[in-house]
Amino acid sequence: MKIKQSGSTIVFKVIIYILLTFMAAVCVFPFIIIISGSFTDNYTIITEGYGLLPKNFTISAYKTIFKAPQDILQAYKMNFYYTIVGTGIGLFIITMTAYVISRPEFKYRNNISFIIYFTSIFGGGMIPWYLMYASVLGLKGSTFAIWFPALMSPFLVILMRTFIKESVPDAIAESAKIDGAGHVTIFLKIVMPVLGPGLATIGLFLAIGYWNDWYRSSMFSTSSKTWELQFYLYDLLNATQALRQMAQNTSVSTADLPTESIKLAMAVVATGPVLLFYPFVQKYFVSGITVGAVKG
Amino acid sequence: MKSKENRKPEPGLSAIFEKEYHGKKLGLLAGIVASVITLLLSIPFVKWIYIINPDSLFQSIGVKEDVIGKLMSSYNLYDMLSFVKYTKQGNIGLFTMILLILAVASVYFNIIFVIRVFMKKKESKGNLHLYFTAKSAMIFNIALSVVAIVYMPFANKKIGTDAIFISPIVYVVLILSIIAYAAVKIVEKTEREIYKEHGFLYELRKNWVLFAMLVPAAVYLLINNYLPMIGVYYAFTSFNFRDGLWGSPYVGMKNFEYLLKADLFKLTKNTVLYNFVFIALGNILQIVFAIFVSQAGVKWFKKTSQTLMFMPYFVSFVILKVLVYNLFEYDSGVVNTMVAAMGGQKIDFYNTPHYWPILITVFYIWKNIGYGMVVYLATIVGISDEYYDAAKVDGASLVQQIRYITLPLIKPTFIILFLFSLGSIMKGQFELFYQMVGTNGVLYNATDIFDTYVYRITTTQPLSIGIGTAAGLYQSLFGFVLIMVTNFIVKRKNSDYALF
Repeated sequence: MKIKQSGSTIVFKVIIYILLTFMAAVCVFPFIIIISGSFTDNYTIITEGYGLLPKNFTISAYKTIFKAPQDILQAYKMNFYYTIVGTGIGLFIITMTAYVISRPEFKYRNNISFIIYFTSIFGGGMIPWYLMYASVLGLKGSTFAIWFPALMSPFLVILMRTFIKESVPDAIAESAKIDGAGHVTIFLKIVMPVLGPGLATIGLFLAIGYWNDWYRSSMFSTSSKTWELQFYLYDLLNATQALRQMAQNTSVSTADLPTESIKLAMAVVATGPVLLFYPFVQKYFVSGITVGAVKG
Repeated sequence: MKSKENRKPEPGLSAIFEKEYHGKKLGLLAGIVASVITLLLSIPFVKWIYIINPDSLFQSIGVKEDVIGKLMSSYNLYDMLSFVKYTKQGNIGLFTMILLILAVASVYFNIIFVIRVFMKKKESKGNLHLYFTAKSAMIFNIALSVVAIVYMPFANKKIGTDAIFISPIVYVVLILSIIAYAAVKIVEKTEREIYKEHGFLYELRKNWVLFAMLVPAAVYLLINNYLPMIGVYYAFTSFNFRDGLWGSPYVGMKNFEYLLKADLFKLTKNTVLYNFVFIALGNILQIVFAIFVSQAGVKWFKKTSQTLMFMPYFVSFVILKVLVYNLFEYDSGVVNTMVAAMGGQKIDFYNTPHYWPILITVFYIWKNIGYGMVVYLATIVGISDEYYDAAKVDGASLVQQIRYITLPLIKPTFIILFLFSLGSIMKGQFELFYQMVGTNGVLYNATDIFDTYVYRITTTQPLSIGIGTAAGLYQSLFGFVLIMVTNFIVKRKNSDYALF
C-alpha cells in the first residue's frame, strides 16, 4: 500500500541526505588530503599547505621511495609474513576452540567459555604481559613475540561459535555422530566446508589487526629487520619530527630529511593493500558484525 | 546461586543431617571438620612459620639494627610478607605471595563450603554441587599446606640458613584435608550413580578429542593471559632488571602510595571521563546515523554512505597520526593554512592542551562511527515492516515512527553494546591516544590515560616498572569491580541483559 508522503517527511528526508553526505565526506576527506598531498611537490606543501586537489601534480615522492626501496620492502615482507602466519594459525585455533564450545554434548563448554571470556574482564596489565614475553620467555627481538600475542580474542571466538551454530544445526552433527563420525571428521568434513563466510569474516578481522599493528614491534623488536610496516612508518614520522625540531633549534641542514610529500606517499604505500581490498572486504565485515549483533 | 525460591527457616543441624544427607554423613562431616579446623588455624593469631634463634639469622643476612625491632620470631600466614620486606629478601617474595594467595583462596572456599552446608539449598542434581565445593576447598587446603611445607627448605636455601621452621599445624591441615577429600569423593561417587552423572575423568576419556582440540587455545591463554597475572606481584616490588624477576626487593604498598600522591587521581579521571564520553556520544551518533541510513530510500546512496563511513575503521592508528598531524600542524597543517588564508591567527594545537579532549573525541567518533552504525543498522533492518505499515496507516509521521518503533526496538542492542563497552572503560583506546599525542609532554595533563602512562614506563623508564605494574593492577581491579557491580545490578533488574 502506498501512502502519500507529508511535507514534514520530505523535509526530514532532505535533512537526512544532507547530513549523511556531510558525514561521509568528513570520513573520506582526510584520505583525500593524504593522497593528494603525496602527489604534490614538497615546496608547494610547505609554502601553500595541503589541499584537496594536488596543485603541481608530481609523482616524485613515489619515485624517491622506490629509488632505495630495501627498507620499505623489508617492512612489507615482514608485514605479509606476520599477517599470513598470524591469520592462518589464529584462524585454526579460533575455529577449533569455537567448535568445541559449540558442542552441546560437551559438559564443560560453559566453563571453557568463561575461562576465555574472563581474560577480557581481568588481566595482569601491560607490564607483566611484557615481562612474560621479554624476560621469562626471552623472546625480545624474535618474530614469534610479534605474531603470537594476537592469535585470538574472546570476541572472535564467540563470533565464530555463533557462525558455527548458524551454519551447522546440531541435528546434522548429531546424525553424523550416530553414523560413526568422530569429532575430527565432523569438524573437517561437515563444519569446515560450510563455514566459508565465518572463516572469511574472522580471517579478515585477524588480518586487518595484524596489518595495522605497530604496537608489538615497538615493544619487542630489537632490530629494524623485524619491524612491522606500520611501525616502520611510525618510526619514520617520529624521526623526521624530531630531526626537524633539532634543525630548527640548531642549524642542521634539513635537505636530507624525508619531505612532507614523501611521508604522505609512505602512508599511502603502507595503507595500500587495505584500501585496495576494502570494497571487497567490507561486505564480509558487515556480515560478520551483523551476525554478531543479531545473535550476540 | 540465583534461585529465587523462598528458603524455609533452617531446622537445626541434626535434622538437616538426618534428612538431607542421610547415609552421607561421614563424608560431609569429615569435610566440615577439616574446613573448620583449617579456618581456625588460618586466623592471624596462629603462627605458621617460626624462626629459630632469630638474632643470629638477622645478623647473618645483614639486617640493620633499627629494623630488627620490627622483626619477630614467629609469623602467621598474613604477615610473612612483612618479614620479606624488612629483611630485604626479595628472592622469596614471589613464593611468599603465592602462599598468601593460596591462603586467601583456601579460606574463601572453606567459608563458602561451610555456608553452603548450612544453607542446604536444593539443587537439580542432589548434593553434587556441594560435594564439588567441598572438593575445591579440600584441594586448596592441600595445596596451601604442601606449598607451606615446600616453603621451608626453599626459603632456607634462598636466604642461606636453616633457621626457618614450619609449624606442625601445617601437617595437621594436610592430613585432615586429604582424609576429608577421600571421604567426600567416596560419597560423591555413590551420589553420581543415582543421577547418572559422570566425573571429569570419564568426560576426559569419552571426549578426549574435544579436549585435545582445546590445547592450542589453552597454551595461548596461559602464556598470553593467565601466567602474566602472577606478574602483578611486581606491583609490590621496586623492580629492577639487575635483581631480575625473582630477586627484586619487596616494598609492600609503597608503589600505590606513590601513585596516590602523584598521578592516580588524574589518570582515573582522564581514563573514565574520556571513555564515558566515547561510549555515550559514540553510541548516540551511531544510532542516529544508522537510522538515517535506514531511512535513506535510494539504494546506491545507502550503500555508498555506509561504505565511506566504515572506511576509517580499517586504517591503522599510525595513519591516523599522519592525518592528525597534517590537519593540525602549525606551519603547513590544513586547518592553519585555511585560518591563515582567511586572515586569522594561526593556532598552535600541539602546545595547547585544552583542544585535545575535543580532538581526541572527534577522531574516536570518526574512526568508530561506521562499525557501530553497522551493528545498529543490522538491528533496524531486522525490525518487521508490519510495524511501520501499521503506524503509517494510523497516520504516524516519520519522526513518530522512529520515536515509537525504531528506538524502543533497538534498546536491547544498545544496552548490550553499552554494557560491553563499560567493561573496557578503564582500558580504552590506547592506540588512539598514543598516536595522537605521542610523547608530547605538554599535553599529558589533559590526555594521559592509564595505558599511555604504563606504556611510557615500560618503554622508557625501566626503573619505574614496579609503579607501572601497580598502576596496571589498579586499573585492572577497578575495571573488574566496575563490571561485576554493573553486571550484578543489571542481573537484578533484567537478567536477559546480564553479561554473564
